[in-house]
Amino acid sequence: MHSAPYATVLKPYGRALLALAREREEILCLSGDLTRQTEIDLFASELPQRFIHAGMAEANMLSMAGALARRGFQPFVHTFGVFATRRPLDQIVNSVAYPNLPVRIVGFMPGVSSPGGPSHQAIEDVALMRAIPNMTVVDLADATQISTALPVIAELPGPVYLRLKRGEIPVIFEDGHEFTLNRAELLIDGGDVALVANGMMLAAALAAAATLTAAGVSAAVLNVPVIKPLDSATIAALAGRVRAIVTAENHTIVGGLGSAVAETLAEAGIGCRLARIGLRDTFAQGARTAPPLFRRYGLRSQDIVDAAWSLSGRSGESPRVPETDVTEGEYAPV
Amino acid sequence: MSELDPTAIARLADTIRLRALRMVAPHGFGYLGQALSSAEIFATLYGCHYRPERDDIVISPGHYIISAFAAAPELELLDERELSSYGFDDSQLEAIGTERSPSVDLTGGSLGMGLSGAVGFALANRLLGRHQARVFALLSDGELEEGQVWEAAMFAAHNRLSSLTVLLDANDSQVDGPVSSITTLEPIAAKWEAFGWFARDVDGHDVSAIDGALSQALEAPQPGVVICRTSTRQGLSVLPAEADGHFITLSPELTAAAAAELEARLA
Repeated sequence: MHSAPYATVLKPYGRALLALAREREEILCLSGDLTRQTEIDLFASELPQRFIHAGMAEANMLSMAGALARRGFQPFVHTFGVFATRRPLDQIVNSVAYPNLPVRIVGFMPGVSSPGGPSHQAIEDVALMRAIPNMTVVDLADATQISTALPVIAELPGPVYLRLKRGEIPVIFEDGHEFTLNRAELLIDGGDVALVANGMMLAAALAAAATLTAAGVSAAVLNVPVIKPLDSATIAALAGRVRAIVTAENHTIVGGLGSAVAETLAEAGIGCRLARIGLRDTFAQGARTAPPLFRRYGLRSQDIVDAAWSLSGRSGESPRVPETDVTEGEYAPV
Repeated sequence: MSELDPTAIARLADTIRLRALRMVAPHGFGYLGQALSSAEIFATLYGCHYRPERDDIVISPGHYIISAFAAAPELELLDERELSSYGFDDSQLEAIGTERSPSVDLTGGSLGMGLSGAVGFALANRLLGRHQARVFALLSDGELEEGQVWEAAMFAAHNRLSSLTVLLDANDSQVDGPVSSITTLEPIAAKWEAFGWFARDVDGHDVSAIDGALSQALEAPQPGVVICRTSTRQGLSVLPAEADGHFITLSPELTAAAAAELEARLA
């Protein structure tokens, strides 16, 4: 694993999809009018005969993708996460998920990573997709895992919602880092608290763990790129040997990773303290860049540290997460 | 395409009506009005144009699956004896079409999605080089209230999906009453034409008119729609004037009178 500040790359998803499509002729690429923003301009220019521009018409796009999948194609559908899940929810349910078809819904710009306001901030997409039977829900943290996850996702017989950061994508994992659909990854072990995170909050959890451990609170970090089906066994086993769990997601705390972990703990009868870092049942405002929003809505590394510090029974002020100097093209969590 | 024999196709339409009546009768209520309005559409399509081994068929409003089931024995897609299980628990022949519904390529109970599915099939056929394949989609006029239908219509015309043909059952019936009392859809044909489609507006109980318009639509270089003006009471004079077109209640006496009327015409 690399450490912060992380190098970033552009269009890792677009390159991975194109590489996969060269091998698998059944892959089709559908755009909902955000072609460059969802990195599929690469696909459009190299494989134009398998690129379908659906226009700004998400309901039609999803139902059409379902029909294409019925005829043996594997459609990858692209737009921002808000437009991929809110507007065509009924179409995802009836045209894709209920018939259990291999449509891949790729939603970019998760949570409050967008400069737009609530119209552009996918804060409940995971909750919506997680509630739908047959749906697999994936939130990836880095460029390496995007390239290793895509071929694995393409093997699934049913639908997938893939949630991806837009723009500069950090490289957190070394080349060759494996991706599996059925196992959460214990990246750092620790005995006092466990930080359970995914997507854009993984880097924040890693920074928080370093600060906590240096201050004497041994913090584990569990990466949960697959929110559904959830690797409940790993989460329960970890919860059984720490004092507290802090979940961290770039999403509302209602219905996403934090809720999924809470359900696991409750059903396993584990009386472990739990704090959920995420949007606290609120819409967010817009901003020029994402970091002010991460600060305003409690999605900083420091917020994870504060929650873990409190739950682990420590008194006094929590340790400070040091600022990471970032030069252009590098990424560090807020 | 088979040559149209108007008498035989009109008889098939009444056969569809009688089968649908028998499917609904044990329950005392159901989607008989849809079968009455669409009987000539299904008779013409199944009797003269639709070839299951080559074509796709989409029944967009799942409530119309009764008509598809009632027509299916003509093409040996269903055994006529199976129709008696329609609407009963654990039957594959559910009253509102689902993924389990046999004999069609796509149907569903959330309205307004079928045309997008038909567009997907037409696109798939093009990508697969299946140039002889046709895609037929049965839509209802009430569905035109759903925006997705027009998203699909725009996409189909822009992409010149000429293998796609819509049969629109304009029976002016939706749950709350006449469609025209709830939303003004007219001019329906002009709307489709404005979206880039070939459109024909016909008497939906005249099999020769449906067949003629359908044949033209199939030849047109753009996607085509045949707007069939129909009534949910067509073919059963015994139905009372107040019968609910969307969901008809049938007493045993009314069922017997209706069956007698259809059987007499088919005798």
